[in-house]
Parts: sequence; structure tokens; C-alpha cells
Amino acid sequence: MDYVVFAQQLTNGLVNGMTYVLIATGLTLVFGVLHIINFAHGEFYMLGAFFTYFAAKLLGLDYISAAVVATLGVAVLGIFANRLFFWPLRKEHEFTVLLSSLGLALLLTNGGELIFGADPKYVPSPFADSVFEVGQLIVTQQRVLIFVVGALVLFGLNLFIRHSRMGKMMRATAQNPEGAALSGVNIRQVYTVTFVLACGLAALAGALVGPTAMIFPTVGSWAVLKGFIVVILGGLGSIPGALIGGLTLGVVESLAGGYISLGFAQAIGYAIIIVVLLWRPQGLFGTARRT
Amino acid sequence: MMKRKYLMAAAAAVLLGTAFGAQAQDKEPVRIGTIAPLSGPGAFDGQLAVEGMEAMVEIVNENGGILDGRMIELVKYDDKGNPEEGVSAAKRAIEQDDVDAIVGGWFSSVALTMKEVTRDRIINVMTSTQHPNTTKEGHKYLFRLNATSVMMSETYAKFICDKMDIETIAFITINDDYGRLEVENYERLLDECGIEVLGNEFYNKDDTDFTTALTKLKALDSDAIYVSAINTAQGATIYRQIKQSGYKGTTIASAGNMNPKLVELSGPALEGVYSVSLFAPDSDSEKLKAWMEQYGEMFSNEPSFIGSLGAQAVELLAGAMDEAGSARDYDKIAEALRGHEWETILGTINFDEIGQAMQNIYLVQVKDGEITSVNE
Repeated sequence: MDYVVFAQQLTNGLVNGMTYVLIATGLTLVFGVLHIINFAHGEFYMLGAFFTYFAAKLLGLDYISAAVVATLGVAVLGIFANRLFFWPLRKEHEFTVLLSSLGLALLLTNGGELIFGADPKYVPSPFADSVFEVGQLIVTQQRVLIFVVGALVLFGLNLFIRHSRMGKMMRATAQNPEGAALSGVNIRQVYTVTFVLACGLAALAGALVGPTAMIFPTVGSWAVLKGFIVVILGGLGSIPGALIGGLTLGVVESLAGGYISLGFAQAIGYAIIIVVLLWRPQGLFGTARRT
Repeated sequence: MMKRKYLMAAAAAVLLGTAFGAQAQDKEPVRIGTIAPLSGPGAFDGQLAVEGMEAMVEIVNENGGILDGRMIELVKYDDKGNPEEGVSAAKRAIEQDDVDAIVGGWFSSVALTMKEVTRDRIINVMTSTQHPNTTKEGHKYLFRLNATSVMMSETYAKFICDKMDIETIAFITINDDYGRLEVENYERLLDECGIEVLGNEFYNKDDTDFTTALTKLKALDSDAIYVSAINTAQGATIYRQIKQSGYKGTTIASAGNMNPKLVELSGPALEGVYSVSLFAPDSDSEKLKAWMEQYGEMFSNEPSFIGSLGAQAVELLAGAMDEAGSARDYDKIAEALRGHEWETILGTINFDEIGQAMQNIYLVQVKDGEITSVNE
């Protein structure tokens, strides 16, 4: 076993893992605070990548500004998604909400194919082809960027939820929505902020990953699938769970692909879901809820 | 009041219906069902394929259609690149929509299952599928335009052995019927001429990251990496990531999978890369030029190989139906197709007993961002 290859696979895994973390954090946030399972989450990832592409192409922005514009743009879309879909349905049965989110996902994917075109696109980034070499280890700057930005954003999010007033309101809503409302928490505002954060995070992931692979309108279904695997592994609603779960999935996939077979790498995600659900249904970091 | 309105509407509908009906009786269109991947990762390839067909339909219809003035009409179905979807699309085309002929089989896995639905029931022209079994286990109404991967790989392997000056090679291949066969073919053919195959990595059809596979391949340190990618999105990602991994050897693109969009998306990563194709855009055939011109007028994409195959399918069906004097007499149409050589946009083509086409295979290379044919 060659240690350079091992280190390279580990690095690949950590970077892929960080994109999973960014995708899963939004998913877990929406579930943790609002108890909504959002199947349309992957489409906001797709929109993040496409908005970056069009912001760069049509507005002539450089990659970083385009990524920021796209993230903010999709975060604003989060407000609309909440107002039009999730807020009106908040008192309905969980399945109704779940099915509506599936409908929203289909709407966005097919709308994307109609508006953006089915052809794959490439988000140009000055960091995509520039390489960092550490000894024999090779990582593109884009991948370093994914990891660093991911880590910083999660750190910031953690501070926000722990210490800001809004973060406290979100945690109160997560514990008991009625109780929170009675003690003066503006639930409507909590919904909005949660969706803005979740959609923004998904879009940021799309904007960051865009330059490492081609983008096409159905790429969101891949993203939401990875997101769900991570969330189940880490525990629905747990942000540290999403972090550890995402990085674990990335590394396990990469090492399994590298040392067993690539076909196996994809299967391992589903195997993880089954094992976790059997052995620890609340996830590694989740807390069991009794209803 | 309401009732009267409904009655009037109904009367109007009946009138309209008869008016259209009368017109349709004069020139009922010949309907060709086209089953292609219009969504999913293969969506763009499907779009190119259908655009190629539409451009040729336009040419045929502008010249007065076929069978004394009947227009050709395309009926589109989405197979999503999935065998199951392909089967249900073919069933719908035959049983519900009653189309006159079917053009499909862009991906081998779809073609292999779909052909059982169309077996001996309808003329079915398979297009870009390369799996030999598409025609080997085919049926009397089935024709396939693309060269099989065996035919392609024999030509291509000869070139790789003679011209590329490499001693070792590694593969990255898609994990489906087509990919597995590719590896098998090339391992045998390249071994015969003394090129050592160091390894192969299979990837899945919805993978978006290939760094794990490429890290493994790079560690093998082969002189060349052969990339077998049938869809443009994955292909472009692989070529870019090969470059990003710092691999310095030769990159070889799989046969028949080079198109202008791939060149555009892959950027410098594809410069100098070779492939073989039935379609050489710089050929000076008049028919090809006319089609490319028509395509350029109708669509914003560049004409591509799979588009040209779609166009060829329409061209051949139109010719054979004219010769058979019917759009439904499948025995006669099949006989016409097998009967003689056809002059088409891709040059001379003829079919053997099992419906396999024999066509020219060109060697192409990307030079300054253009796909150019290599003349020896």
C-alpha cells in the first residue's frame, strides 16, 4: 500500500465529504427546526451552480462575485419557496409537506431543463485547473477552496445558532413550536430565516462544486440523495452530525472506491443507511424522539 | 344559456374536426417514433440526436416529402437513458400512438432491451448503440447504423498500436454493457500488439466525481489512459479531472464519442486527444454540407456525430419507404434497406443480413479546439 496514494484518496474523500456536509447541513437544519423533510433541497444546489454560471456569463462577474451573487439569489428564492409552499402547509400532515416538496423538486428540475437547456455546462473558475502540490500530493485550488469555505461557513453557522438572538429563537422553535410561539417567538420569521440559510447553504455548495464537474439540471437529485445519506448517518436535525457524517461518507466512499472497487463506493452509502437505521435509527448524533 | 354555449362549442369542434380530417386524408404524415434520452445525464446527447433528425426531416419535407407528398413527422419519447423507460416508450409508440417506424437505441443498454419489444413488429433503426448483440440477436426489421464496438475497436486498436508509441495503458470505463465489452475488446487487441494493460476502473452512470478512480489510475503510471465515456457531461468532467490530477501521459477518447460540445466543455484538457468516428465534420460531401447548413439554421448547437446518425436514420427510412412504396409494408422496406448500397450524409452505407451497417470509420483528433480528420 502506497502512502502517497492513500493520502491522496484521503484528501479526495475529505473534500467530497465537505460538499456533502454543506448539502446536508441545510437539509438537517430545516428538519431540526421546522420538522420538514425537504426533497427539493437538491434543486437549490442545482440552482446555485446554474446561477453562478449565468452570473458569470451574463453579468460578466468573476467567479467569486458570481458565487456570492448566486448564493444570495438562491437564499432569496428560499423566502419564496417558504412563503408559497412550506409556510401555508405548516399545519398539514408531514406526508403532505413531504409530497409537496417532491413536487417542488420536479417543478424546479423540469423548469431548469426548460429555461437553462439540457446541455451540460461548465462553471469557469480560475482555481479549477491550478494545482497545489504538497510533496507528491496534488490538489486543485478549487478543492482547497471547497474545504476552507465549507469549514468557515459551518463555524459561522454554529456561532449564529448558539449565540445570536435569532439562533436562540430557532432552537426554541425546534424544541417546542407552540411553546416558543407562546413566549413571543416570531415563528414566521424563524421559518423564513431557516429556509434562507438552508437554501443559501445548498446554493453555496453548488457554486463551489460547479467548477469541479459539469452541471446539468438533474444534478440536484444526486445532491439530495447524498444529503439524505449523511443526515441519516449523522442524525436528522443535528449539525455536528451532518459535519461528522458528511466527512465520514466522503472518506469511506473514497477509500472503499480506492481499495475495494468503485461500484462498491456508491453502494456503501445505501449500506450505511440500512445499518444505521437498524442499529441506531436516531443517527450517530441524533437524540431519540418519542411521539 | 350555458347549454347553448356548449352546443355551439361542440358544433364548432365537429366542424373543425371534419375540416382537419379532410385535409389529413389527403396527406397523412408518415410518423417516425424517436426514442431518445431527453432527460437525465444523457439529456444533451438525446437533444443533439433529435435535432439532427429534425434537420433531416425538414430537408426531406422541403423536397416534397415521401410517398407522393406525405410529410414526415417525428413523435418524440424520453427513455431517460434507462432500459425500462425505453421499453415502455417503445410499447407506447407501437400500441397507443401507432407510429410507422421507430428510431432509437442511442445507448446500448436501452437498445438491448428495447429491441425485444419491437421484434418483428415494426421497422426499428438503432443508432449510436455499439454493442454487437444489438444486431447479433436482432430481428428481421432491425437495422443498426453505428459500427459495433468490435468493428470500431479493431480499427482503433490498429491505430493505437501503430502510431501512438505507447507501451502501457490503463482504462476508465462506464459500468454498463457497452463499457464492459469495450475493456474486453481492447485488452485482447492491445495485448496482441504488445501494449500492456495495467488496469481498469469502472465508474457508474450517475457519478460526478472521478478523482478516486483517477488517483488509482495515475498510481499505475501507464503511458496512456483510455477514457470510455458515452455521455458528454461525464466525459468532459473526466478529461478535466485527468488534467487536474497532474497526469502527464497520452489521453485516448473512446470511439464515436467526440463532439463539439465535449471539446467546448473540456477546454484545453482535450487538446490533441484522438478518437475515431463515422462523422468527419470537415468532409466535403455535398449531402453532409446541406444537412449541416440546415442544422445551423434551426439550432444553436454544433452538428454532432449522434445528430448525423439520427439524420442518416431519417434519410434511409425516407428512401426505403419510397422504394417500397409504403410506410407500413415492413418486409418490403427491410428488403429495400438490405438490397443495395445507399448514398447518405455519412457516405456510402450498406447493410448485411442481420441489419448491421458497414460505413467508413475516420480517425479524428482535436486540434486548436476543432475536431479534424487525420489523413495518413
